[in-house]
Amino acid sequence: MPTITIYKDDFQSLLGDAEPAHRAVSIEELEAWLMLVKGELKGYTPETGELRIELQDSNRPDLWCCEGIARQIRIKQRGKLLPYPFVSRQSKSRMQIIVKPGMEQVRPYVAACAARGYRVTTEGLAQLIQTQEKLAEIFGHKRKTVSIGIYQLPKIKFPVTYELVKPDEARFTPLGMETVMTLSEILMVHPKGLEYGAILDGAGRLPILRDAASQPLSFPPIINSREVGEVQVGDDQLFVEVTGTDLSMVVLTLNIFASNLADRGAMIEPVEVQYSMNTPLGKRVTTPVDLGKSKTIRIDTIEHALGQELGVKTVARALETYGYHVASGKGSVKVKLPLYRQDLMHTMDVVEDVAMSLGYAEFTPVMPAQSTVGGLSDIEQTSDRARELMVGLGFQEIISNILGSPESYSGRMRLDETEWGRMVEVDNVMSLSFSCLRQWILPSLLRVEAASSRAFYPHRLFEAGDVAIPDAFHELGSRTDTALGAVIAHASAHFSEIHSCLDVLFYYLGKEYILETVQHPSFLEGRAGRILVAGRPVGVIGELHPEVLERWQIAMPVVAFDLNLSHLTVGTEVRELLS
Amino acid sequence: MDISSAVIDSLHPLEIKVLTTLSARQPGTALDSEQLASAAELEPSQFSMAVEWLLAKELITIQAETVTPVVSLTKIGEEYYQGAAPIERVLDAAREAAGTGKRLTIPDLQSQDGLDPSDVSKVVGRLKKEGVLLIVQGGCIETTGRPSQTVEALRTLLKQMHESSRALVEFSEGDRRVIEDYAVKRGNAKEPFRVDERVTRVFMLSPSGVSAAAQLLQQGVAEEVSQLTPDMLKDGSWRQKRFRKYTISLRAPRVGTGKKHPYREFLDAVKTKLVSMGFQEMRGPLVETEFWNMDALFMPQFHPARDIHDVYFVKQPTHASAMDESVLSHVAQVHQHGAETGSTGWGYSFDIQRAKRLVLRSQGTAVSARTLAASPSIPGKYFSIARCFRYDQVDATHATDFFQVEGIVLGEDINFRTLLGLLNLFAREVAQAKEVKFLPAYFPFTEPSVELHVRHPRLGWMELGGAGLFRPEVTLPLGVTVPVIAWGLGLDRMAMVALGIHDIRELFTDNLELIRTTRGLF
Repeated sequence: MPTITIYKDDFQSLLGDAEPAHRAVSIEELEAWLMLVKGELKGYTPETGELRIELQDSNRPDLWCCEGIARQIRIKQRGKLLPYPFVSRQSKSRMQIIVKPGMEQVRPYVAACAARGYRVTTEGLAQLIQTQEKLAEIFGHKRKTVSIGIYQLPKIKFPVTYELVKPDEARFTPLGMETVMTLSEILMVHPKGLEYGAILDGAGRLPILRDAASQPLSFPPIINSREVGEVQVGDDQLFVEVTGTDLSMVVLTLNIFASNLADRGAMIEPVEVQYSMNTPLGKRVTTPVDLGKSKTIRIDTIEHALGQELGVKTVARALETYGYHVASGKGSVKVKLPLYRQDLMHTMDVVEDVAMSLGYAEFTPVMPAQSTVGGLSDIEQTSDRARELMVGLGFQEIISNILGSPESYSGRMRLDETEWGRMVEVDNVMSLSFSCLRQWILPSLLRVEAASSRAFYPHRLFEAGDVAIPDAFHELGSRTDTALGAVIAHASAHFSEIHSCLDVLFYYLGKEYILETVQHPSFLEGRAGRILVAGRPVGVIGELHPEVLERWQIAMPVVAFDLNLSHLTVGTEVRELLS
Repeated sequence: MDISSAVIDSLHPLEIKVLTTLSARQPGTALDSEQLASAAELEPSQFSMAVEWLLAKELITIQAETVTPVVSLTKIGEEYYQGAAPIERVLDAAREAAGTGKRLTIPDLQSQDGLDPSDVSKVVGRLKKEGVLLIVQGGCIETTGRPSQTVEALRTLLKQMHESSRALVEFSEGDRRVIEDYAVKRGNAKEPFRVDERVTRVFMLSPSGVSAAAQLLQQGVAEEVSQLTPDMLKDGSWRQKRFRKYTISLRAPRVGTGKKHPYREFLDAVKTKLVSMGFQEMRGPLVETEFWNMDALFMPQFHPARDIHDVYFVKQPTHASAMDESVLSHVAQVHQHGAETGSTGWGYSFDIQRAKRLVLRSQGTAVSARTLAASPSIPGKYFSIARCFRYDQVDATHATDFFQVEGIVLGEDINFRTLLGLLNLFAREVAQAKEVKFLPAYFPFTEPSVELHVRHPRLGWMELGGAGLFRPEVTLPLGVTVPVIAWGLGLDRMAMVALGIHDIRELFTDNLELIRTTRGLF
């Protein structure tokens, strides 16, 4: 989730009269306040006042900015949220955006507002740009769902039109460039065109915002015009537009910008958007608009979830001081989120806000009283018993990565193109070294053996762990089994030495086994056996083939076995869960 | 003269043998090395060790020292004995040529395998001088038919000395000349004989040696042994033995061990703790459907963590061949509009096919989701130590696969406060921490959510885990109607400190020496 940079002085001034301006807020205080916004202080540079804060909640984009964090704290200090006047004053708007037919196929929605009377400061501009980036990138899914443009209002003649044009029909100087370019040139040359162009793949005609004088404002979601869309420190009349594919997300994003600019002292003026099609909010939508719905919640639901009696008054107060609009009822509260939030999906979301507003420290921990019986799964018990025995036999336990390379799991084992060499492979490979799951344990142990020729001999190694075995009859295409691999390496390592160990293991696991000769490419012919239990193959044992050792660059004879423990265990829980 | 018992006790059985052998003779008898070694029945190497030790302890003295030149065979000499000396080969070749009538010249000989050209000229010169060979016109070599004294003498000497080395004085004048001719000299190591100066020493007991021997005799411990044997125990003869004392302070020789992996020992300890707290283990597959890995946890299909850059997708097969369709459609409805859960849902159209896409399990919570759907016990506590995979660049803090320790607690009495109570218990039992802090947190599948910070006795304040109450959107479609705690513990940092490592990759190291020598101190 996003990490943002804010400036302490700017932050403190946004706290407004909630905090006397002359008092310097300490870092400890700040950290305590950050609990209200699920924020974590990642860094502080006292010389510049720069604070780096990570925000955890991916459903609270309003908090990914200095204004939002300050707002949540200010409400707590003041006791309630002062209402934003711009949504109640939905009179006739002087500014319009006309959405032409055809937009619904590419990027249907737009919302906008104007902000006057706030003179942009250096910090304010940095925040505007950062908020624009974080919201479009993370909340807006890399501009796919939502993208944002900010302009110098006086340069725009209304009404603005939002329409589709042929790629070479419109041209303007984009931000970051010196020359006029067509939309298709922007897609091919401009860094933002290259980065985000894929969003418009397949669209024959491209979206553009133009004013009444046919002056392009923006080619959403790619880039703004440099002439209109380059906001400077000192500007005091701004125009903000948000375009996207999801109307409620577009509106929420605009509401957040409107609230942020209002918090900095701007007067927000609404813009009316006229659609040629019908939208979930009708054909004419004046933005910003509060889409919040009231929800009535029983107090005992909240109390039950929190495990504490609170009463209507406490709950109502907690929510009010967290920014909610609250009306108290008998045994219930009627709540509505402020316009910059849209994250109320379930009563439990309100429950958490009550707890956060009161502070988690207000809740005394209580132990769950009901007793339960603990235990290990059957396969874990088998695995533990086998591990104990292997240790008793003088083997050192190893743990390895499961994700590895076909080269080590199959190639070096001489298993390519054989039934033993089949593995679960990754589709989106990042590195060949991590591109398939191991289907047996021995390569994991040879990895250690190959790196440890200087370690005191003899080497007796084992690992018990998960393997993934391709299985066409399984609904997941593979089974996850637990396997045990063991190797012995020293100058006179011999089949009978590892055979004795296997024998002891089976004796104490209480299973009968037999060995039958097998031709397995990893082992020397005539010195390899298939391990059978009740006629079913459960593993292999033998002297490793010199070519295998050569491929691993191991200069010591190695004898080994690999045993599927799941086959020796009845009713593993994996099976139960899958059936 | 009195001798301390410490000196007596320190005597090695070999030393005792030499001492007692000497003291068994007339007082003042002196024996040379050879006589003494054979009387004491000791091998030369044992004998010389014992003598050196006794000399150092001044229990014996050297009465006389004589130097005798002794002749023995060198390695070359052994080769000549087994095969033939160059002089013999030259003579044989000349005789063979005479027999067949072939021409033989010095260059012919020099080109023969194994013959050194300089040896050839030297040998031919000698044989010519002895009148055994003639060089006739054209440089041809012919035999005169006379035997060579040198060859015969050399052969006899090789044979004698192969049997044993001898003092030079034992040889006749003629033999001595041959020996001198063929002995290793400065600048010429390629000769069959070597004359060494053998030092023969004559030993006798020193005054303290006499009293030591007397004391040994008195103790009646003629035989000191180093090893107690089954025979001694069987016939009781151990009673007549004295057991040599060891230098106990020496370093122990290294021994190979069978041992659990230190990281697994740590995880085993956590496992045992959890079982003792009433948790039942649950397991799940490494290859998962997106459904159990994400959808069942109410993570919308457009969630950023479901990106191709965050999860490993399986190549073949790409999708599960079958799934429980009723659970699937239930979860789909909750994503779309919340169904009966009291939620608004995410309001998008759920892709059933996407839910069946196979991935490598990216979070242990997938195992919890499967357990919720498999009629868990109520009340119930479950845990898993699950291997998970993340699409991450591997570095000191990011592993590509790793263990997640997590689980669930179900029950009528589960609420926010019992959640905090459980976390308190984890803090105390798993991290031995008395101080805890609960911070608000965010997880896609829990509400409220908590981060547990503890003051670890050695590490100070650290994040131990995250937890929360599963959202009803998670539990209800899987058929669970009671509140459920979902918890996870982040133990890798604790493990790394306990194991003394700073790189997460070392948890799965291939360095056997490191694994063998790491002590897990938990």
